[in-house]
Amino acid sequence: MDLKLDADDLNTCVQCGLCLPHCPTFRVTGDETMSPRGRIQLMREVQDNDAPVTSEVVDAFATCVQCRGCEPACPSNVPFGHLMEQTRETLVDNGHMTPKWQQLALKPLAHPKLLKAGTAALAVANKSGLLPKRLGLPDELPVRQKPLVASGDDVWLFTGCVMDAWQREVHAATKRVLEAAGFGVQPTNDLAPCCGALQSHAGMGNDARNLAAKAISALADAPVLVNSAGCGAAMKDYGHMLGTDSAAAFSKRVFDISEFLAEHVDSLPAVEPLDLRVAVQDPCHLRHVQRVHTATRTVLEPFVRELVELDDDGLCCGAGGAYSVLQPELAGQIRDRKVGAIERATPDVVASANPGCSMHLAQAGVETVHPMTLVDRALNG
Amino acid sequence: MAGFLSSVRRRLNLNQPTAGDGDPVVEALRAALDPSRVRYDGAERTLLSHDASIFDGGVAGPVCYPLTTAEVQSVMRIAEKHTRNIVPRGAGTGLAGGAIPLGAPIVVAVTRMNNIIEVDVDNRIAWVEPGVVNLDLTRHLMPLGFHFAPDPSSQQVCTIGGNVANNSGGPHCLAYGVTNAHVLAIEVVLPSGEVAMLGGLDAEPAGLDLRGVFIGSEGTLGIATKVAVRITPNAPAVKTMLLSFDTVRNAAHTVSAIIAAGIVPAALEVMDQRITQAVETYVGAGYPTDAGAVLLAEVDGLAESIEIDANRIAEIGREQGAIEVRFAADETERALLWKGRKTAFGAVAQIAPDYYLHDTVVPRSRLADVLDEVSAIAERHDLIVMNVFHAGDGNLHPLLVFDKREPGVIERVHAAGDEILTASLNAGGVLSGEHGVGVEKQKFMDLFFTDDDLAHQNRLRQAFDPGCRTNPGKVIPSGHSCADIAALKRVPREVWA
Ligand SMILES: Cc1cc2nc3c(=O)[nH]c(=O)nc-3n(C[C@H](O)[C@H](O)[C@H](O)COP(=O)(O)OP(=O)(O)OC[C@H]3O[C@@H](n4cnc5c(N)ncnc54)[C@H](O)[C@@H]3O)c2cc1C
Ligand code: SF4
Ligand code: SF4
Repeated sequence: MDLKLDADDLNTCVQCGLCLPHCPTFRVTGDETMSPRGRIQLMREVQDNDAPVTSEVVDAFATCVQCRGCEPACPSNVPFGHLMEQTRETLVDNGHMTPKWQQLALKPLAHPKLLKAGTAALAVANKSGLLPKRLGLPDELPVRQKPLVASGDDVWLFTGCVMDAWQREVHAATKRVLEAAGFGVQPTNDLAPCCGALQSHAGMGNDARNLAAKAISALADAPVLVNSAGCGAAMKDYGHMLGTDSAAAFSKRVFDISEFLAEHVDSLPAVEPLDLRVAVQDPCHLRHVQRVHTATRTVLEPFVRELVELDDDGLCCGAGGAYSVLQPELAGQIRDRKVGAIERATPDVVASANPGCSMHLAQAGVETVHPMTLVDRALNG
Repeated sequence: MAGFLSSVRRRLNLNQPTAGDGDPVVEALRAALDPSRVRYDGAERTLLSHDASIFDGGVAGPVCYPLTTAEVQSVMRIAEKHTRNIVPRGAGTGLAGGAIPLGAPIVVAVTRMNNIIEVDVDNRIAWVEPGVVNLDLTRHLMPLGFHFAPDPSSQQVCTIGGNVANNSGGPHCLAYGVTNAHVLAIEVVLPSGEVAMLGGLDAEPAGLDLRGVFIGSEGTLGIATKVAVRITPNAPAVKTMLLSFDTVRNAAHTVSAIIAAGIVPAALEVMDQRITQAVETYVGAGYPTDAGAVLLAEVDGLAESIEIDANRIAEIGREQGAIEVRFAADETERALLWKGRKTAFGAVAQIAPDYYLHDTVVPRSRLADVLDEVSAIAERHDLIVMNVFHAGDGNLHPLLVFDKREPGVIERVHAAGDEILTASLNAGGVLSGEHGVGVEKQKFMDLFFTDDDLAHQNRLRQAFDPGCRTNPGKVIPSGHSCADIAALKRVPREVWA
């Protein structure tokens, strides 16, 4: 089957295997079909040698967390993320993966009203213990909440879909920190309801491209600041995804919140640091895709007593957007490794700039907060 | 609704083996191990037909992932009962085709036997399972003040079992010795299913050194299930320097002169211009991309003594025409320089998508001549050659890079490879520096060893493996091997491999 993969991209892999230890699924299974090298070889078998798309082949692709830990590890610069997204899109189009019910489940993300209604329903169901634990929902889903109000138009604060519905207090904290640094903040709220990352990872390319176009036309001029690593990575990829100049120009205006604030730490007031030993857990899409994870440290450093690094080379935690729900067993094994690394670092609290990671880790009993929450706490008590 | 149900059914079926039902070997293996750790589907079998080399032979039969020595014993017994061959496998980074299946053998992947069992700092010994990744072991030992000295460039991924089987080396083996010098004892499951302990923890174990026989045997004598390795204290101080030259020849002469001056650096690595450029694009370590060659030198030991050695190396380099000598300012710079060197093979895809990496050792004094000859050979065959090598040991790694989609190119690559090997043997070199013989260099064994030598090697092998069922068809060439290699290669490929 023609997976519609760029032949040159596919050919840059020399099968050296240097990416293997950076792949969370290979780490926990030791199985080549669950490794980047193996997945690339299977893409070649399907596209070049017309190998049948068996359930095991689909499984090899479906078990990829799309963390892209394999990319910075690859000396040949294989664009793995793009290869995997395109593979999934072709397989979805041909009915091989992401069944209709999963596609339907992602639809409300693009519709704020539906999502809010859904969240309220989930919140009630969750409180009454009707939902399985493995869905990884926060214990306290908000039943109803007020949208954030603009304080100026220096910067956009991208509020997104699930995160806005489930973790709005992180947005509120981020907004206060930006204001403390002297910026007027305009929350995007319903203007750009969703970045399209989950749809793109699920192979629903059209939905993703529509959301991208919507965000680009709605958010003019100012820098677009994103406090969810997955959303930021997706929005920085709009240029590649849509292939237009305006999309590329938009992507250049997208910054991770810490990436942006790292340039303005001096504008933040000097305060007494929080008396905490904080372990930084880098979300994959901040470290491996945006590659701006050092900024998190620059921003946090003045506001906490001590920062500690994990010793696992930035290996994924297994959250992966919807991954922890779709592949609970692997996601759990991957998380066990992460929890081990966290325990070795003996922190008081873990900082992670991605809602998926923090919910996934919280489920294993690890207290995880957004870096902006910590800075806000130091600034505002 | 039907779609929903079938997708749920499919989801429930995930990881539930189905391929191979009814095959007595597969069923016996599934009964002995957990069924989820025995795979027989086309995807798995196709992928495990390759390692990091360009060779292929047969196709993997059932693939097993044992967790314990007892499980490896069961697999061996099942293989014996059904007269099936077996191939041990680690991370599959071998470059000589050692882990590729010939015929359709049972593949025993030890990647999940990855526990560090015990670290005995007082006696400087660690017991590990064979699937432990080389760098993971070193990382585990670092806080205790130790490391595992053999550091193949693939150390972030290759396994201790693979290191033992190939007697692997690495940049720092110049001063510290290759794997053989760092392994005290090996627990091995023999092809009969019995367990044997080779070697021992005593300084001078009694009897024949069977441990030494197993190291470098490339999986043909049995499966290593536990390894006692020597752990090496970290050096108190390290100095890393980068010397650049106009030509590879000058770099090679510098290497000879350093060793001749009686200095034993921890590492001496040379890269030519093409490889330096590819590496620099990836790591951005500040490698000079306009130099004809760079020499990465490292000295370690007491701060005072390495200061003297480092200055002496700089001086020798300048005498030999170094255009620049640079010292790594800090640990970050040092780590980046090494990251560049250690990812060199992988970085070549920036130039062409395929490579064939050679591994020969020549006397250091002949380095420069052999390198010239290598470029002449590549030119004759219209191929690009890149050089990156463990210069201190005279261990050459010429890389022929190509695009296998180009018609006829594979034949040219193999012809050039043969000539390169012959040239190194003529210069007084040996067959394999560190990557092993595998299927790659079998045909050259005849050039290097006499008939008698080979017959003895085969008898030794049969003492461990009378049925010739572990990794058959590797290392020892056809005429002398107990395995019928031609017959192995004739086994039809029944999956979509
Ligand atoms: C980028 C790159 C750089 C490299 N750099 C170096 C280098 O600097 N120095 C060097 O020496 N090599 C190097 N290599 C080659 C390779 O990494 C080594 O040979 C390594 O030791 C192989 O380990 P593995 O776990 O991948 O073994 P595999 O490739 O899986 O197997 C290698 C051989 O070992 C046997 N084997 C594996 N496990 C066992 C076991 N438990 N019991 C018995 N037999 C077993 C297999 O049957 C096979 O014959 C490099 C390879 C690559 C791709
Ligand atoms: S993806 Fe990159 S690192 Fe992984 S095997 Fe291919 S070339 Fe090597
Ligand atoms: S994206 Fe992550 S899970 Fe997928 S192959 Fe790469 S490292 Fe593995």
